[in-house]
Amino acid sequence: MNVKAWVTQLVQRLLVTYWRRRAPIAVAHTPWKTAPADNLQLTMNLVMPLTDQTAVGRAKAVKAVAANIDQLFSGLNNVGTVHTARFDLIGGNLCMFSVFDGDFTNYIRDFICLFGNVFDALVGGLVVDPPPCPCSEHPEAFIDWVIRHDAFQIPGDLTSLFPQEANLENLGRDLVLLLDQNDNVQLGRYSGYPGMSVAQIRQATGVEW
Amino acid sequence: MSTPALDEHNLQGNILRGYAHDNVRHLVLSVRDATAARAWLAMATSGDAARSPQITSAAPWDDKPSTCVNVGLTHAGLASLGLPATALASFPHEFAHGMASRAVKLGDTGPSAPEHWYPEWRSSDDVHLVVSVHGDDRRACEGTAARVLAAAGERAFSLRATLDGAMLPGDQVHFGYRDNIAQPHFAGVRDPVDRPDRQPLTELGTVLLGHATPLENVRWEIPQPQALGLDGCFNAFRVLEQQAAEFEDYLSASADQILADPLVDELLPPGTESTWDPPLSRRDALRELVAAKMMGRWRNGVPLVLSPLSPTPNPAVGPSQLNDFGFASDPDGLACPMASHVRRSNPRDARIVQRSTNRSRRIVRRGLPYGAAFDPDQPTPGPRGLLGVFLCASLIAQFEALQYDWINLGLQDPRITGTNDPLTGNNDECYSAFTIPVGTSSIVLRGFPSFVLTRGGAYLFLPSMSGVRHLAGMGR
Repeated sequence: MNVKAWVTQLVQRLLVTYWRRRAPIAVAHTPWKTAPADNLQLTMNLVMPLTDQTAVGRAKAVKAVAANIDQLFSGLNNVGTVHTARFDLIGGNLCMFSVFDGDFTNYIRDFICLFGNVFDALVGGLVVDPPPCPCSEHPEAFIDWVIRHDAFQIPGDLTSLFPQEANLENLGRDLVLLLDQNDNVQLGRYSGYPGMSVAQIRQATGVEW
Repeated sequence: MSTPALDEHNLQGNILRGYAHDNVRHLVLSVRDATAARAWLAMATSGDAARSPQITSAAPWDDKPSTCVNVGLTHAGLASLGLPATALASFPHEFAHGMASRAVKLGDTGPSAPEHWYPEWRSSDDVHLVVSVHGDDRRACEGTAARVLAAAGERAFSLRATLDGAMLPGDQVHFGYRDNIAQPHFAGVRDPVDRPDRQPLTELGTVLLGHATPLENVRWEIPQPQALGLDGCFNAFRVLEQQAAEFEDYLSASADQILADPLVDELLPPGTESTWDPPLSRRDALRELVAAKMMGRWRNGVPLVLSPLSPTPNPAVGPSQLNDFGFASDPDGLACPMASHVRRSNPRDARIVQRSTNRSRRIVRRGLPYGAAFDPDQPTPGPRGLLGVFLCASLIAQFEALQYDWINLGLQDPRITGTNDPLTGNNDECYSAFTIPVGTSSIVLRGFPSFVLTRGGAYLFLPSMSGVRHLAGMGR
C-alpha cells in the first residue's frame, strides 16, 4: 500500500470513529412485516468465527459438522418451516445459511427444541463467543446469540432502513456506520417461487409436509 | 433441571384456575410515589384485610370470596417501583419493550395501530400497574376497587382508567358465541369447571416460570432475583373491540353468496335446517353455518367436528363433550375448516407444519366482555368487546407466536398459509379470504374486514405472592 492510500484509510477510520461517537445510528435488526408473503422465505446467515482459524482448526470444524450432519438435517426436517439450510466454511468462519418461513425467534426456538443438544456439541469449543450451553436451558439468550451472529440484511431500498433520515445525502454516512457496526451483511436474495411456504411447495410437488 | 414444587399459596389466583366470577373491574394505574406504592403492595400481602383488600392467591377455597384481587405490572411499572437495572434487564425483551412496540408483530396495524388505542394506553410508559378485581356482583367489585385505591392513598398511584367487564347472558361474547369452554388442564391441579378433554395434560411451565414446559428440556429463563421471578406469569392484557354489527352483516352477505353457489346443497343438504331446534330458514341456517365455520364451533359451543351439520344434533352433544374432541379425524377440514379460529389457535391433534408445536403455544384465557350486549334485532352502537387476559410463561414463544405465525399468517397448514383468522385476524377487505372445504372443492368467502380491533393493552407480569413481597420490600 502506498503512503497516499494508507493516509486516506487512516483519515477514513478517524472519520468513521468521529461519526460513530457524534451521531450513532439505530436500525432494527429484522423489521416485522404485515403482508403474509413478506413473512415467508426469510433468511438466516449465521457467521461463527472459529477459535482456531488455521487449516487444522478448519479441519476440526469439517469433522464436527460431518459427525452431526445427519441429526442436524433430521432436526431441520422436523422443524417443518425450513426451505434450505447448509453449512459452509468461509475463511475462518463456520457458517449456517438457511431459508425459513415465519417468525425468526419461533424458528430458532423450534431448532433448539429439536436439536439443541446437537448444536451444543457442534459448536462447543469450536467457535469464538460460543452460545450459552446447553442452549435449551437458555432459549432467550441463545436467540440473542443467534441474532448477534446473523448477518445484517440490507433491503434493496436503502432509504427504508433510515426512514427518519430526511436528507438522503446523509445516507452515505448512515450506510458507512451501518457497515461499521456489522461485519457481515446480506445484500439481496432472489426467490424463484416468491410468497410460498415450504409446506405449500411440498404439497404442490407431492412431498409429505 | 430440578422442578420446584407447586405451592398454590404462593401463586396469584386466576392463573391455574379461573375465579368463575361474572364481573371484573380493572384499575389502570401509574405509580406517583414509589414508596407509597410499595407500601400498598406490602399491605395487600400482609394478611390484614382490614387495612387493604388482599391479593388473592391460588390456594383452593372452601367458600368462594365475594371478590378477588390480582396485580400485574409492566416493565415500566417495575422500574417505577425501584427495581434495580440488573433485575429489569433480566426480563424478556418483548416484555421490556411493551405491547405497543410489538404492534406490527401482533397484527396491531391499520385501525388497530397504537395511535388508535384508547388514551390511557397510548403513552405506554405511563401504564405501570393493572389491579384487577373480580366478583360475582358489580357493586362488590366497585367497593373492593374503591377500597384498594383508598388503602393505597392518593400519593401512591394516579388512576388512568377504570375498565369494567361483565359476563353476558349465556356466557357469551358479543359475536354471540358461547365462551369459556376450553382451557389447558394442568397436571396436578384440580379445577371443578374442567370438562373432559382428550388433549394431554399441560405442563405447569405453560404459565408458570421455573416449571417444566411442553417443549422437552426447554425452560424459560426466570427474571431475577429468583424471589421475584419464580412462579411468575405473563399476561398479554388486550382491550379488543368487537364489530358486532359488521359481523352480523357479513354473515348475511355470506349466506346470500353461498345460496347462489353450486356447492350450497353439498355444504348444507336441503332440509337439514328444518331438523334444528328451533328450525331456521335456509338463509338463516347458512348464516349460522358460516358463523360456525369461522369459529369452529356453533354459537352454542357445540364443536363442528362433533356435529358438522347442526347446532342441536340428536343425540345431543352434552356439556361434558364440548372440549372432548380432536381434529385428526377431520384432516381436510370438511367439518371444521383449517382456517377456523379454534383450529388455528389450538390445533390439538391435527397435523401441522411446525411439528413440535401442537401443544407448546397454548395460553390461558380469562377475559370478560365489556360494553352493552349486542342485539342483532335492535342494534345499538358500541363500543363493546373483550377485556382479554391471555396468560403464558413466555409472551414471545406463546402469545406472539400464536398471533404472528398462526392467527395472522396461517403457517401451520399450507392450505391456509397467507390468510388470517377470519374472526380475530388483522384482515383487510381487499385481501381477506376464508376457505370452507366442501367435498373435494371449497367455497371461498372474501372481502371481510377486521371484526376485532385492538384498542389498547399492555404486557403485564404477575409476580408470585413472594414476588409481590419482594417488590414491597425494596428500598427498606
